[in-house]
Amino acid sequence: MLRYEGASIHDGPGLRTVLFLKGCGLCCRWCSTPESQRFQPEKGFSARLCRGCGACAAVCPAGAMSIADGKIQWDREKCRSCFACVAVCPEGAQKQYGTWMTAEEAAKIAARDEVFYFHSGGGVTLSGGEVMDQPEFAAEVLRLCRSRGIHTAVETSLSVPWKNISQVLPYINLLYVDIKHMDSDRHRELTGSGNRRILENIQKLCGSKDRPEILVRIPVIPGQNDGRENLRDTAAFCESCGGISGIELLPYHRLGIETYRNLEIPYELADCLPPSAERMGEITAFLRTVTSLPVTTAK
Amino acid sequence: MEGKPYRERVERMKERVISARPEMDLENARILTESFQETEGLPLVVRKAKGFYRQCKEKTVKIWDDELIVGCSGSKMRGGILCADTCWSVLDEELDTISERKYDPFYLRPEDREMFETVIRPYWKGKSNYEEWLAQIPQDTRELRDHGVIYINRKAVRGWGETTAGYSWIITEGLKGIREEIQKEKDKLDLTVPGDYEKDYYLESMRIASEGIELLANRYADEAERLAAGTEDSKRKAELLEITRICRKVPLNPAETFWEALQSLYLYQICIFMEQNAASYNPGRMDQYLWPFYRDDLAQGRITEDKAQELLDCLWIKFSEPCLFQDAQTAEFAAGYPMFQNVCVGGVDTNGRDAVNDLSYLILQATMDVQLYQPSLSVRYSMAKNPNSFLKKVVELIRLGTGFPAFHNDDIGIRMLMNKGIPLKEAFDWNPCGCVETNLEGRLRHYTALADINLGAMVEFALLNGRNRKSGEIISVETGDPRSFDSYQEFEEAVKEQIRYAVRAVVKGSHVIDEVCMKRPVPALSLTFKDCIRKAKDYAWGGAKYNAGNGIILIGIADLINSLAAVRSVVFEKKQAAMAELLDALDHDFAGYETLQKQCRDVPKYGNDDETVDEIAGAMFTFIADEIERYQSKFGTMTPGILPVSGNTPFGLEVGALPSGRNAFKPLADGVSPSGGTDQNGPTSVLKSVSHIPHGRFVQGTLLNMKIEPELLSTEHGLIQMMALLKSMCSLGIYHVQFNVIDQKKLLRAQQKPENYKGLLVRVAGYTAYFVELGKDVQDEIIARTVQNGISVG
Repeated sequence: MLRYEGASIHDGPGLRTVLFLKGCGLCCRWCSTPESQRFQPEKGFSARLCRGCGACAAVCPAGAMSIADGKIQWDREKCRSCFACVAVCPEGAQKQYGTWMTAEEAAKIAARDEVFYFHSGGGVTLSGGEVMDQPEFAAEVLRLCRSRGIHTAVETSLSVPWKNISQVLPYINLLYVDIKHMDSDRHRELTGSGNRRILENIQKLCGSKDRPEILVRIPVIPGQNDGRENLRDTAAFCESCGGISGIELLPYHRLGIETYRNLEIPYELADCLPPSAERMGEITAFLRTVTSLPVTTAK
Repeated sequence: MEGKPYRERVERMKERVISARPEMDLENARILTESFQETEGLPLVVRKAKGFYRQCKEKTVKIWDDELIVGCSGSKMRGGILCADTCWSVLDEELDTISERKYDPFYLRPEDREMFETVIRPYWKGKSNYEEWLAQIPQDTRELRDHGVIYINRKAVRGWGETTAGYSWIITEGLKGIREEIQKEKDKLDLTVPGDYEKDYYLESMRIASEGIELLANRYADEAERLAAGTEDSKRKAELLEITRICRKVPLNPAETFWEALQSLYLYQICIFMEQNAASYNPGRMDQYLWPFYRDDLAQGRITEDKAQELLDCLWIKFSEPCLFQDAQTAEFAAGYPMFQNVCVGGVDTNGRDAVNDLSYLILQATMDVQLYQPSLSVRYSMAKNPNSFLKKVVELIRLGTGFPAFHNDDIGIRMLMNKGIPLKEAFDWNPCGCVETNLEGRLRHYTALADINLGAMVEFALLNGRNRKSGEIISVETGDPRSFDSYQEFEEAVKEQIRYAVRAVVKGSHVIDEVCMKRPVPALSLTFKDCIRKAKDYAWGGAKYNAGNGIILIGIADLINSLAAVRSVVFEKKQAAMAELLDALDHDFAGYETLQKQCRDVPKYGNDDETVDEIAGAMFTFIADEIERYQSKFGTMTPGILPVSGNTPFGLEVGALPSGRNAFKPLADGVSPSGGTDQNGPTSVLKSVSHIPHGRFVQGTLLNMKIEPELLSTEHGLIQMMALLKSMCSLGIYHVQFNVIDQKKLLRAQQKPENYKGLLVRVAGYTAYFVELGKDVQDEIIARTVQNGISVG
C-alpha cells in the first residue's frame, strides 16, 4: 500500500476514500506517481528539505548516508530500505514510500469513512500503482468493503493477465480503465508495453456477464497521444466495445516532479506543459463529434 | 446583489463604515456621570434608570445619508462606548496608548481626554465594578491570571452582553404592552409588606427606562422630520418621512410592518448596548420572529422581496457600525472590535418542526450582499427537518470565503440547552450566542464565557511540578516530580490535578464576579425578560426565567491531547526517551534535541482519525466536563465550553515547549480543531477525531475551524459533496464548524510557512500530494492555476 486519502470527489461518485496500491507493470513517461511503480516499500530523499544535520548518517546500519560539504549524500546501492533514517530525520527529508498492510487493515481504513459514504453516495476507490497486479489483496479488500455495503471503484490500466481481473471483478461496482494510445508500438514507446492485452481485456470485460459500470479515461499528454487520429481511434474502439458508459479526459499534470527528484529518477517529459483549458475544450468538442458516448474532462 | 436596484445604496453605506476610524465615544459616560451627581441617595437601580433616561434625552442623535434603519448608541458612527460605572479605569490605564495600541485601537480626541480627566475620573474613582473586582479577586485566582494560566477579567472590564433580549416581545407588544405588565405587578404590591418597597422601586426603574427608549425613538423621528424638510430629493424626503412615522410609532407601539419591526428591533438594540457596553447582544432567531411581518407585508402587497432585502441589507450595515471597547489585553483575546451580534436562521420551531421560511433565505442573502464583519451569522441546521435547498444556500454562502455562517448542528444545540436545565419545549427555541455559545431569547441569564483556562499550562505545570516556566515561581498545586512517575497514569493524574486546581480558582473568581455584578443592574435590558417584571427582579440579580452558572472555557484542546499521547508513547510505551530527557528537551525548547522532537511529532496526532490518540480526547473531555459541573454558583451549575475567539494566541505566548512537539511560546490550537499542520488525512479524518469530544456536554459550545478546498465548492458536483460532508458532521454529533476557504493568498502563506500547512492536499483525479512537499516550481504553478483550472487543494 502506498497511501490513502479521504474525501476525494474526483474518483467516483460521492465522497471517496482512495487507497493507492504500490507496484505497476507499466512505466508511463508521464507517470505522476513514480513512487508507486515498484512493488516494495522504498526510500526517497529530498535534498531540498535536508539541512545536513547528519542524524540519518548516525543511524544508518548500511553506511548509505554520509556527509560531504555539510550535505547529505545518499548511496542508493548501499541502502537496504530499512527506513531507520526516516524515523530520525527532523526535517522530513527522508521519506518512506509504501508500507505492508493486510487486506483487513486496508478495509478498515475504508470503513472509517462510512458515514461520509452514506450521506454522499460515495465509497472506496482502489488506485495505484496497478490494482490488478495484486489481485488477491485487491479482491479481498473490495470483498470486505462490499460486505459492509460500501460502493467500490477501481482505477486500472488492465495491463495484466485476464485471470487477475477475473479474481477482482465480482467485487467492483465501477471501473476506470486508461487507454493511453491505440497504436501498440507507440504505446510501447510511451509505457514500456504494447496495448494488445489492454484492449483485449477491455473487450472481454465489456462482454462479461456481470460487468461493472466501465468508464474509459484518456490521459491527455500534449504531443504524445493527443493527435486527432489517435483520439478518433480511441473513441471508435470504446464505441465498438458496447459496454462502456463514457469517456473521461485526464489532463496531463506535473505534480509528481518533486517525487522524481526524491527518487533520483530522471523526468523525461520535463519540457511538456499541461494542456490549457482551451485545448482540453477543443479535444472534448472534437471527441463529441466522433462518438455518441458522453465525454467529460476530469478535474 | 449584482443588478439589484438597492446595490448602490448598500455599497455607499458599506464604504462609509469601512472608511470610518473607530473612536472613543465618551458622551454617554459624561451624561451618566452628570446624572449620578444629581441622584445621590436613590437606590442604585433607580439611579441607573435615570442615567439611562438622561442619555436618551441628551445624547447626540444622528441619521446618516441613505439610511433606512436608524439609530446609534453613541455620538459617533464607529464609537467605542465607555460605561463609566462598570469600568472607567480601563480607559484611565490606556489614555496614552489607546489611539495606537496593537489590537483594536480607538482614537481618543484631546478634548475627550480632558473631559475624562476632569469629569469622569474624579467622580467614579473607587466606585466601578472593575475596581471592586480587582480589590476582591481571590489570591490564587489572581496568581494564575497574572501568569497567563487563566483569563478572567473579561466580565469586569465591560458590561453584560452574552444574552438574547426578548426582541420578539418588544416588537409585537411594544413598550406599551410591557408597561401594562409592569403596572400589573406594581398594582399587586403593598408597601407595608417587607420586600415590596424594593420591588416597587425596581419596577419604577423599569418604567423610567421604558420612557427613555420612547423618548429616544421620538428624537430620531424629530431628526428624520428635520432632515426631510431640508432635502430637495423627493425620494429621500419620502424615505425620511417614513422613518419619522415609524420612529413615532415603534417601539412604543406594536410593529405592524416588516420595516417597523426591524426599526423597533434596532432601536432597542442600541439602547441595551448604550446601557452596558458589551459584546454579544444577540438578535437570535430573526427568521422566526420577523417572519409574520414579512409574510403579511407580502400578502398585503406592502413590500416586495427586493425591498425587504434592501431593508435587511441596511440593517446589516448598522450592525457593523458599533465597535466594542475593551482593554488591550481583552482585545488580544478577542480581536477585531468583536460585537458578536449573533443572528440565526434555520432549525426547528417551537413544535419541533422545520422552521426554515422565505425570510431565512433573505437573511443568508443579506450576509452575501453586505459581507461585513457583523452581524455574526449562524445557521441552526436540523438534518432531519431542514430542506436541502436551505443547506445548499448555506454552502453557497460558505463558498464566498467570508467565514460565515457559523454552522451549528441543531440537535446538539438543543441538547446543550437541555443540559442547562431548560425543558425540551423551550430548548427547541435556542439560538447561538456570541461566538458559538448557546442562548434562549428573553429567558436565560449567565455569562457564557466568563473565564478561559489555558490547557497548555496544565500540561506544563504537571511537567514542572506546579512551577510556571516563564517566572520560575511555583504558582499551582505541586503534583510531584514527573521523573519519579512510573506510569503514564501517574502523569495523566498529575495533569488532571492541575486542571482541578485551575477550575477551582476560576469558580472562586466567578463567585466574586457574580457578587460584584449584583451591583450591575440593567433595567433597560431586563424590560424584555418577562420574568424580571413578574419577579420585579433585575436580570443581574437572577430575575430571568432560567439562570445557569457561568461559562468556563477551555483553550488548547489539541495541545493537551497531543501532549498526553506523546508522553504516553515516547516515555512510557516506546521508551524513546526518559522523562528526565524529555524535560531537558522542553527546557531547551528542543534545541539540540531535534531527534526527540521528531519522535514527539511522529506520535499520532488528534485530527487524523487515529483511535489511540482520539480516545484520550474522549476520556479527558469527559473528565473536564465532570469537573466543571461539580461546582454550583448561586445561579446554577457551572457550564463548560470550548471556544477560543483569539485567546489561543496570547495563551500560547505563556507556554513553553510541549511534549506534542510544539515549540515554546507559539499559539495553541484553536477551539476543538487539530493543531495547525498536524492533520494529514483530510476533512473526514478531522471530523472523525473531533467527534470523540462529547460536544453536547460542553453546553457553552465547541468551535471547529476547518480549511476547505475551493474546488470542492466551485462546481455543482462539489457543492453537493460539501452538503454531504455537513450532514456527515451532524451524524457524528459535532456541534459546530466554520470554514476557511483556501485561496491563493493562503497558498502563498503555505509556501512561506510550510510547517503550518503540512496537511494541505493537492488533488486531481487519481492523484494527491501534500502541497508543501512539492517543489517551488510546481507550487507556483498550482498557485497560478488554483480555482481557474480546477486543481483542488485542501
